[in-house]
This record gives sequence, structure tokens and C-alpha cells, in this order.
Amino acid sequence: MPPATASQNWQGKLELTYGQELRHGQPTTAITHRYTEAPLRLQRPFYPEGPQRCQSVVVHTAGGMVGGDRLDFDFRLGTNAQAMITTAAAAKIYRSNGPEAQQNIQVHVASGACLEWLPQETIVFNQANYRQQMQVLLEPGGQWLGWEVTRLGRTAMGESFVAGDWRSRTTVHQQQLDGSQRPLWIDRQWLPGSPEIWASPHGLNACPVIGSFTWLGANISDEVIEDIRKAWLSQSSPVTDSAGVTRLSQGLLCRYRGHSTSLANRWFRQVWQRIRAEQSGLPAQVPRVWQH
Amino acid sequence: MTAPLRSSPPPSQSLNSPQALLRLLQLASPALPVGAFSYSEGLETLVHQQQVTSAEQLGHWLNQELRHGAIRMDAALMLRCYQASQVQDWHRLQDWNQWINASRETEELRLQSEQMGRSLLRLLKQLQPTLAIPSESLTQLQAEHCHFATAFGLAAAHWQILEEQALLGYLQSWATNLIAAAVKLIPLGQTAGQQLLFNMQLSLEAAAMTILRLQDEELETCGWGLSLASMSHATQYSRLFRS
Repeated sequence: MPPATASQNWQGKLELTYGQELRHGQPTTAITHRYTEAPLRLQRPFYPEGPQRCQSVVVHTAGGMVGGDRLDFDFRLGTNAQAMITTAAAAKIYRSNGPEAQQNIQVHVASGACLEWLPQETIVFNQANYRQQMQVLLEPGGQWLGWEVTRLGRTAMGESFVAGDWRSRTTVHQQQLDGSQRPLWIDRQWLPGSPEIWASPHGLNACPVIGSFTWLGANISDEVIEDIRKAWLSQSSPVTDSAGVTRLSQGLLCRYRGHSTSLANRWFRQVWQRIRAEQSGLPAQVPRVWQH
Repeated sequence: MTAPLRSSPPPSQSLNSPQALLRLLQLASPALPVGAFSYSEGLETLVHQQQVTSAEQLGHWLNQELRHGAIRMDAALMLRCYQASQVQDWHRLQDWNQWINASRETEELRLQSEQMGRSLLRLLKQLQPTLAIPSESLTQLQAEHCHFATAFGLAAAHWQILEEQALLGYLQSWATNLIAAAVKLIPLGQTAGQQLLFNMQLSLEAAAMTILRLQDEELETCGWGLSLASMSHATQYSRLFRS
């Protein structure tokens, strides 16, 4: 366990730039710039799907975040670059006696490029004060796909999230041909921990796990939406779990509220595979760090 | 006439007069022909799933919306559109309208907001062809889908309704429409519906006070219940309402 009051806070940084170039006549996505500051570290890139798409695994070496900690990520994708970024393990946000733990992610996706941000789940302890912010800028023809799965409270220990604050803000802008920027998606989620919100059908409905899956920068057909819905219905989920999918302007959104991170992950991976089938017809390769 | 409650006088003065009250009553009326009666904002699903089966549960849902939910953020966005219209900053009005568009949680809720906004803007133009907004900005607003909160803010500013009163009117008409939907769905007696609306006065007032003070940085919502209900409404087998 970390100390309840941290005298020193982590201010981690990770900058990654991907570019696409021709190597041996093949389009290859390579990391052209990387910079890390502890406690963040980056594993060497993987190419399980061939040179076109680069898989990166981010490692948080301190185990979790306490109030006052801050992580800053900056991901840039050049024209046509294809990258998938995940994390080596679940993230933990410890309880705070006031200060906020913050994770900020800036993303810039050039035209024809696609970033998939697919981190493993975050466990938010009761009384934690956490804010995660994601700002994405898409050039015309750029795409971004991201998910987040959060367990609120250490349920295995009988803990519920009834005090503290959880915030998750995602903003996706698209650059227009005239250079102006237009918001495609603004999601400003806030969960003030309270017994009332925990129990209310308007809030958590006594469910400790919430998840969102977002895909932006593409027009979505009815067929894709329908397949995603069917994929959820084919899960044998308990009646207390609910999930849904909807179309956004140039994208789609899935939400899950239930009891199982593995159920949320399973469905989100199916959604991811369905989107890959739509984009390239080729299935996505599940990274090794998820296979445990 | 009482002075408006602000430190510096706005360029176009708001009225606290019988005229402004009459305009507010018209704007906030359930009879305003913008189709509000055809939307339940997920309540139809919640009733179907038996999560809302009584006036008490309905009251809980509406109060949670006012305290942390989508209506709290929407009303704050309406206020920003009102303020932009009042100082005739049409670029800012357009920016907020885009913000509203991007923050619609589901397709059904987005279509509702677009349809009601389109109808209200059209009505406003028909009632008063000489709106302050230049026709160029108006055309662009229509091309990008003018949302309901945008049109309401624009109308309230144009009709010189006081900011606080426009906000209360916006919240009250929202509550009235959803209670009317729930009276049909649950079903509840008309008196039970009116009793709930009457009892909500304090929470409407408290919500308005909070919303008036919200900074842009504080525009946020606790939206899990509404989001899931609305997503599931889109595939509900038998439906009376469009959201």
C-alpha cells in the first residue's frame, strides 16, 4: 500500500509520435519520437499484425496513483500511421484525503491515420479523487477509437464507491477543410461518490463496473450498430447488467453498467473486432499483455 | 419595472414586466408547438423495465436529473445561448450550439433536440420576422441543426425575458413534459402528476440557483442511467414516444 499522504508526487510523462514510411516496399508504422518520465515506461513495439500497425504497451512502474499524482500523455500520428496503445496492467487510484489524481491524454491524428487507445481497466478506490481527460484532434479522414473500463470500489473487499469523485472527460474535435475545428463528441462524465447515486437507477444502480467504448471519424452503418447490439445480447449477462450502443455524429458510442470487468472487456473486444472487419476485413490481434 | 439582477447593464435590457411574464408563459407552455409531448427521454423504457412505477420513483429520477444529470447541463447550455444572444455574439451562439450537438448522449436524444430546436426557431421567425440575428448567422445555425436549448436561449433573449426566469421556465417546462409523459406511461392520475410538479418547486429553484453559478469548466453530468435507458429505448418493441 502507498502512504496515505504522499510527500512526493509522481508527475509522469509519455510522448509518442508515429509515422508511416515505406520499408522494403511495405507501408510501415514506426515510432519516430519517444520520451518518457517515471513512473511511465514503454515496452518495445510489437507488430503482430504486420508492419502497418504498431502495438505499444505502456507500463506504470509505481503500481497506482495517489492524490496529487499526474500523468501526461501525448500521442501523435502522422499521415496514414496505424497504432494501438494499451497498458501492461490494471491501473489503481488510491483513496485521497483531498488532492486530485489526474491523467491527461492529448491525441493528434493526421489524415488516413487511426489510433486505438485500449487500456486495461482502472480500479478506483472508495474516497479516491480522480480525473481523466482525453483531448483528441482528428484531421479530415483521421480516426480514433478508445475504451475505458472502470471498477468503482474494491468490491472483492465489500467496498462500494460512496465517497470521493470520479471524472472522465473526452473531447474529440475534427479539423475542417477551412482549418477551423468542430467538436464531434464532448463527454463530460462525473460521478460524485454518494450512497444515493450508488443505489439510484439514475446513477450506478448498485453496479460497480462502468465502461465506455467510442469510435469517431467514420460514418457508421445500421448493420454495424445492429451487430454490436447482437454481440451484447449473445453474452449471458445477469439481468442487473445493462449495455447499449448508439450512433454519434460520425461515430458510435457503447456504454456498459454492470458487475463484471471481464464481461465488459469481452463485449468491447467484440465491438473492436467488428470495427476492424468494417475497416480492413482483417481481425485484430489481441496483445499478449491481455492474455492472463 | 425592477432592475435586472446583474452588475453591469446588458446591451439589450431584459424586462420584468407583465409583457415579459406573458412571453415566458408562452415560451415555456406545453402547448408550444415544438412536439415536446412526443418525447419521454428514456422514461418509457424505465417504466417498461419497472424501474419507475410510482410518482415517488418518478420524482426521484427527475430530482437526480436536476442535481447531476443531463438537464442540469442542458439548462446551463441554454443560459450560455441566452447570454450570447443578449450581447449579439452570434459566433459564440454558434459555438455553443456545436457544443450542444457534440454533447448529445444518444442518437434519439440528439434527434429530439434537433427537431424541437428546428420547430422553435421556425416558429420564432414566423412570429417575429425581424430577429436581431443576421440572416447569414441564422442560415448557418439552421444548416448545422439548431438545437432546442439554443433556440430557447435565443427566443428568451429576444423576448427580453429575465435570465433567471428564462432558466426557471426552461426547467419547469422540461419537468411538465416528462411528468405528462409519465402520467400516460405508468399510468398516474392527473392530480398525482400535478402534486409532483407542485412538490418539485423547491428542487427546480435549487437547481436554477446552482446552474446560474456553474462555470464552463463545471459543465459535467452523471449520465449512466439516462444514457442506457435512451439507448435501450431505440430498440424497444412497442413505443408511444420518440425518445
